[in-house]
Amino acid sequence: MHKTVFSTDRSSVRRLLRGFNVGVVLVFCFLIFSFWRFQVGQHAHFLEMAENNHQRTLNLRSPRGVVFDRDGQVLIDNRYSLNISLIREQVGDLSAVLELLADVTTVDVGILRAVVESNSHVPDYRSLVLIRDASLEQVAGVSARALELNGVFVEQIPTRYYPNDNTASHLFGYLGEVTSAQLNQFEGGRLRSGSVIGQAGLELFYNRPLMGIDGTRKVAVNSIGREIETIDEVAPTEGQSLQLTLDLDLQRAVEEVFVSSGYSGAAVVLDPTSGEVLALSSMPSYDPNDFALGVNEQTWRNLNGNNLKPLQNRALQGRYSPGSTFKIVMAAAALEEQIIDPEFKVNCGGGGTFYGRFFGCHSRHGTVNLYEALEQSCNTYFYRLGTMVDVDTINQWASVFGLGESSGLDLPHEVIGLVPSRAWKQEIKGEPWYPGETISVAIGQGAVAVTPISLAVMISAVVNGGERVTPYLFKKESRVSGSTIIGSQTLDAIREGLWMVVNRNGTGGRSRIQGYDIIGKTGTAQVISLEGRELIDGSDEEYRDHGLFVFAAPLDSPRIAGVVVAEHAEHGYIAAEMARHILEVFFAKEEGRPIPNLKNPILPAEDSLGVPSVIAEGQ
Amino acid sequence: MREVFNRRLYGYIDGTLLAAILVLSSIGLFMIYSATYDPTLENAGPQVIRQFGALVLGSLGLVVLVMFDYRTLLNHSVLLYIGLVGLLIYTLFFGVERGGAQRWIDFGFINLQVSEFARVVLALTLAAFYSDQRRENRSFLDWVLGALIVSVPFVLIVREPDLGTAITLLPVAIIIMVFSGLKLKLLMSLCLVGILLTPLAWAYALEDYQKVRIASFIDPEQDPYGAGYQQIQARITVGSGGLEGKGFLEGTQNQYNFLPVAHNDFIFSVLAEEQGFLGVLVVLGLYLFVIMRSLEAARLAKDRQGMLLVVGIVGGFVFQVIYNVTMSAGLAPVKGLTLPLMSYGGSSIIATLMGFGLILNVRMRRFTN
Repeated sequence: MHKTVFSTDRSSVRRLLRGFNVGVVLVFCFLIFSFWRFQVGQHAHFLEMAENNHQRTLNLRSPRGVVFDRDGQVLIDNRYSLNISLIREQVGDLSAVLELLADVTTVDVGILRAVVESNSHVPDYRSLVLIRDASLEQVAGVSARALELNGVFVEQIPTRYYPNDNTASHLFGYLGEVTSAQLNQFEGGRLRSGSVIGQAGLELFYNRPLMGIDGTRKVAVNSIGREIETIDEVAPTEGQSLQLTLDLDLQRAVEEVFVSSGYSGAAVVLDPTSGEVLALSSMPSYDPNDFALGVNEQTWRNLNGNNLKPLQNRALQGRYSPGSTFKIVMAAAALEEQIIDPEFKVNCGGGGTFYGRFFGCHSRHGTVNLYEALEQSCNTYFYRLGTMVDVDTINQWASVFGLGESSGLDLPHEVIGLVPSRAWKQEIKGEPWYPGETISVAIGQGAVAVTPISLAVMISAVVNGGERVTPYLFKKESRVSGSTIIGSQTLDAIREGLWMVVNRNGTGGRSRIQGYDIIGKTGTAQVISLEGRELIDGSDEEYRDHGLFVFAAPLDSPRIAGVVVAEHAEHGYIAAEMARHILEVFFAKEEGRPIPNLKNPILPAEDSLGVPSVIAEGQ
Repeated sequence: MREVFNRRLYGYIDGTLLAAILVLSSIGLFMIYSATYDPTLENAGPQVIRQFGALVLGSLGLVVLVMFDYRTLLNHSVLLYIGLVGLLIYTLFFGVERGGAQRWIDFGFINLQVSEFARVVLALTLAAFYSDQRRENRSFLDWVLGALIVSVPFVLIVREPDLGTAITLLPVAIIIMVFSGLKLKLLMSLCLVGILLTPLAWAYALEDYQKVRIASFIDPEQDPYGAGYQQIQARITVGSGGLEGKGFLEGTQNQYNFLPVAHNDFIFSVLAEEQGFLGVLVVLGLYLFVIMRSLEAARLAKDRQGMLLVVGIVGGFVFQVIYNVTMSAGLAPVKGLTLPLMSYGGSSIIATLMGFGLILNVRMRRFTN
């Protein structure tokens, strides 16, 4: 019965079955086409998405090169700091996680929220640093609650470390995150945003060798962001280490005298024959460690807002009147141009009238020759030379000594000093040069303004046989330097005078050390003109004169030369006293004796020493 | 009982179909191994052993269903249907709850998902129901009764809730009705009514999570970490596999768990990622072969009820395969629908193999009276 019923419509069943078959085949063709489109047509697109899913490329910051002093003592090192970071992609309830994190690290939750909010444009899978340089307690707190703090982790970051804190801070400079402007111009695109580079000093000048090459680590993470394995790792390459010419012990001695005396200022100490920088200091200083992890706003504001400008490197950027130290240039110009010989005498009656105006001296020196004039720092003698030597000649000889020119030191942002000339005045003021102006120039006042580093080059030339050295910390800049063009008789005469400054009754007697042939020249740099001083209360500290001292030793085989500029110290002899400690440390170290401590604190200038504090310009 | 031991009968068993089923199940087993593989432990999950056990049990079920004449089963389909409804009701009250759904009955050594067996029982019931009347004289009442037969287990399964499995009952019923003479015109008008009722269903019948899934299908990017996430990840998984695939255990989407329940709903995505388009071609080819070979059993069937039984079972199978594969490529909303023969799931594999047992049964007995 069934059979017959079935056979009557078997043909329609077959038709339906054929339809069913065709339908299934068509759908399968569509499926195969869809898979072809995804797997072959758009394969690259989806493969990239899959890799974005499970691959994270982490930046491995390369440690910067270590910097040593000439004896191999570590000047700049690296340490590992711990950062507490967050990957938002892995966080379920962000505000709960931030609150818990704030709780365990005792950081204000508002600060953490602010970090997250200010980085809202950063992709979710990138890590954000919430707490830089976290304490061990904070890290322990995070580890203890790790299960609840999904997406929060602790990173080890190599961080610049300056073990001597403020020492040589200006020389080292500091680090900072690369700015968008620097991103394109620095290091041929090797930088990426967030990179830390040198922003000042040595860290900037030698940024390329010091920086090293960051590495990368490609890791596989699963869907909840846990790292499963490392796929690929390119280890970071540490930056090149540098050994500087700097002598850390001498640098410390330099800074000690400034700290103990409380003066701002600068000092540069060179090897006068090679130009190696043994010490270079600017006061007040700062702690470059504050910048190593990105300077915080408060510190930055304090440093920038400070009237004493602690970020300025006075050794390279401070322009001071050289005062009487300029008499070295004057003497050299007059002797080399054969205008005078060393026995040329001038009678000092406490000053003199030149071009109808009286110019004072700080004492009545009587009849003095060049040696005595240098020894006593007699202004009258050099006023007289100022009437005999043309300002352009002075300018020319100043250049021979390196004044008013770039020293070529391997540090950035050096400022070039000024020694006036006719052309300069015409250009700046549109006026001709008046001979009376040369009188002030002759004692290093007026428009003369030079940097401490150039004064150190000047005194080096005096003792090294007349060669203008190029100071350097690591590598000599290739620069044609004016080699020996100062006659040896001229140099002998100046050296004789400068020896008397320290070792006879000169103004630099405070730098005398028995048994060592030290030469030097004091200078007092006028901060404000005498007329100006009368208008205001002259006792204001900020209007007090600067004390300068250039020095070199020993005379027959010079191994140290330098300059000390003590701001508002009023007298050069204060600077000479400061230089004495530097010299003591230098010789003690050279002879293998223990490094002496600063015995007596350096006291402010007193009138009782027989040198009146405010009488005339220059000393 | 005489024919159970008729050895000549077993010579008619479709060995080719059986082999294709076996190959697909084995590929499935390998894919489950990969999907549950833990790269940190370097070990696959316990699901592989369980699936193997289910395959053995399913094969036993298949053998049992081959042994008895399908007509005997059809004659007792009412009892089977009542048993099914009873167990589904039992599940609703005493079932094991997992992931917010109450779908399993605890039999001690195995948790059985009764709804997976509903397709086979429904195919038997409807095949029996529509076999006793002339095809030309169907009254509208026949279709209403057929619809009632489907709707009872359908509603019970939806209540678990398990919309995905419930929906698989519809193709079984529709195919059998069409082959029983339901005019396509009438079917179309019913579909039209269904579409018109969709807004009502949206408002009253669908659970919130179901609405989200449908909404996220229309625009997966809208909710990348919610329901749309699975769909995007499915596409990435498939697309990143490329022509030749990433290799066994090498699929990053699979190994790093970017695909949820990869061993279950997304087993085909795992295949696509690790074995590539070529693997997809092979497996889709095997499925197509199994389907067409099974439909041949319908063509060869001795009687109407055998034919209806086969097309009913194949209809459900085809729907599941097509839906799951489409979903695996992120082209259909994510439903808890397994890929028969390959997905992990004991009840699914046992029910599917039993279904094929019936198909083999019908083909084998095409010459017997």
